[in-house]
This record gives sequence, structure tokens and C-alpha cells, in this order.
Amino acid sequence: MKKLLIAISFILGATPVLAADIDGTVESRCTVATTVPGIYGNPNAYTLTTDPASAGQVPVIRFDTTLANAYYAQITYPTSFSSSPSLSDNVTWTGAVTLKAHGESGMSGYQAASTTTGAMRSYPLSVAGSAWFQSTSVAVYGGNRAFPGGAYKAVVLAECVAQ
Amino acid sequence: MRGAVILCLLLSGAVLSHEMTPTYPKWEISGVDDVKKTTMRLWNSREDVRYYEIGIFSDDWKPIPFVTAYRIIPLEYLKEVKFDVYITENNIKRARYICSLSKLRSSSESQTLLATRICSKFK
Repeated sequence: MKKLLIAISFILGATPVLAADIDGTVESRCTVATTVPGIYGNPNAYTLTTDPASAGQVPVIRFDTTLANAYYAQITYPTSFSSSPSLSDNVTWTGAVTLKAHGESGMSGYQAASTTTGAMRSYPLSVAGSAWFQSTSVAVYGGNRAFPGGAYKAVVLAECVAQ
Repeated sequence: MRGAVILCLLLSGAVLSHEMTPTYPKWEISGVDDVKKTTMRLWNSREDVRYYEIGIFSDDWKPIPFVTAYRIIPLEYLKEVKFDVYITENNIKRARYICSLSKLRSSSESQTLLATRICSKFK
């Protein structure tokens, strides 16, 4: 009897502990969202501007990333109309892309760390989270002539490019 | 006050986004000699967009030939799609980025439209 109990205790002691693993991975991803649409105001006959003081609205774009150092945010302000009435003179374009707000304290240096190539500004997204950027746009018709009546549209390009 | 503004931005922007994964896709065998494929996932929560254009580009953003079922993918609001992209082996080394670009619709208001493009990278 004593031997049997010893044998049973050995068997029970040798029984493996079953463990259930929970595995997971965090994938990098980038989401680009429009939070405020852009609208042109018309402060005078020859200017279209997104400046709120001229009844315009500056578009705001949000970039969400789940991992740091995985993407660049690249935003390009317009340099032509995608659709407009027929124009016989040149249009002078200006614009600026700036960091408007950020969800993480480490993003405060984004503007200083950004680079420009023509109308495009590139931001290395070095911190995971949400960042908001705005892109102003001003179009002035050549020789201060009046823009013909009609609807004018221009495209802001917001890109998230993997690093 | 600043927190309230950010909250408003967050809430108002929650349903107008574009997303493509994986960030770093890999080429796999396709079942056809000298042709590789990769599978991408595209998500559309931009109510103003119904189509996305797919492109593959080199390091210097030159277009690379590829094949997919639809080069311009129809994608309804709040839907996702998985799609396969095929490329010949002699183009694989040059292929660096795969991108999806939103195709915009016209409207009658003077405005700045927003085109969004997401590019994943072959490492």
C-alpha cells in the first residue's frame, strides 16, 4: 500500500502543467482622415483664399499611426485648379502646411523636423498617435484681373508613405 | 478649451478616413512561373470617395507594370476589400512602393478637395 501511494505521488508530480499562450502582434498602420474640409473665400475679385478672415476655411487633415517611425506624412498644397471656368491668364499660387495639433507631447517637434520639396512638406511620424495638419492655399489671378464666375476646385494631396 | 477643440476634431473626423495594410507587404509565390503576388487590404471610411486607384512605384516614383483585377477599385463607404497584385519577377527588384489613391468626385462649391494616398513599402 505504501509503495502504491509513493508511485501515485510520483505520477501526479510528473503531470505536466498545461499553459495556454495568448499571442498577438501590433501591426503598423496609417490612417489619413479629413477632419475639416477646405473652402475658398473670395475677399476680392482676383483672390481665392482659405483664410477664415475672408470667409474661407482651412482644411485640416489627421494622420493616425499605430507604431512610431513607420511612416512619413506628406502634404502638398495646391498649385493648380482641378476644375474651374476657362482662365486666360496665369494664377499665382501660395500655400503653407503646418502642424495644427498633436495628440502626444513628443510630436511638438514635428514642424521643426519637417522638410519641404516644392509645395510638399514631409513629416517623419516618429511618435505613434494622432497628429493634425492644416494646408492653407491662396490663388491670385494674373494682373489682378477678376476671376470669371463659377466654381473653383483645387486638390490638397495628403500622403502616408511607409518609411 | 484646447482639449475641447481637439475632441471636436476627433469626433468630426472619425468617419472620413482611408487606410491600407500591411505597411510592409511581401511577395509570395502565385502558382504561375516567374510571377509573384501579394495581398493588400484597403478600408474606406471616406463618405465622399467610392474608388481607389492602385499603383506600384520604384524608389524614384516611376510606375512599375503590374496586374490586378481592378486598377481602380470600387469600394463602398465603410467597406473593406482584399485584393491580390501580381508582378513579374524581373520587376520585383524595382518595385518599392504600392499605393492607393482616392479618386475624387466633383461638386459645385469652390473648395479645396483632399486626395489621400497611402503607400506601403517592399523592403
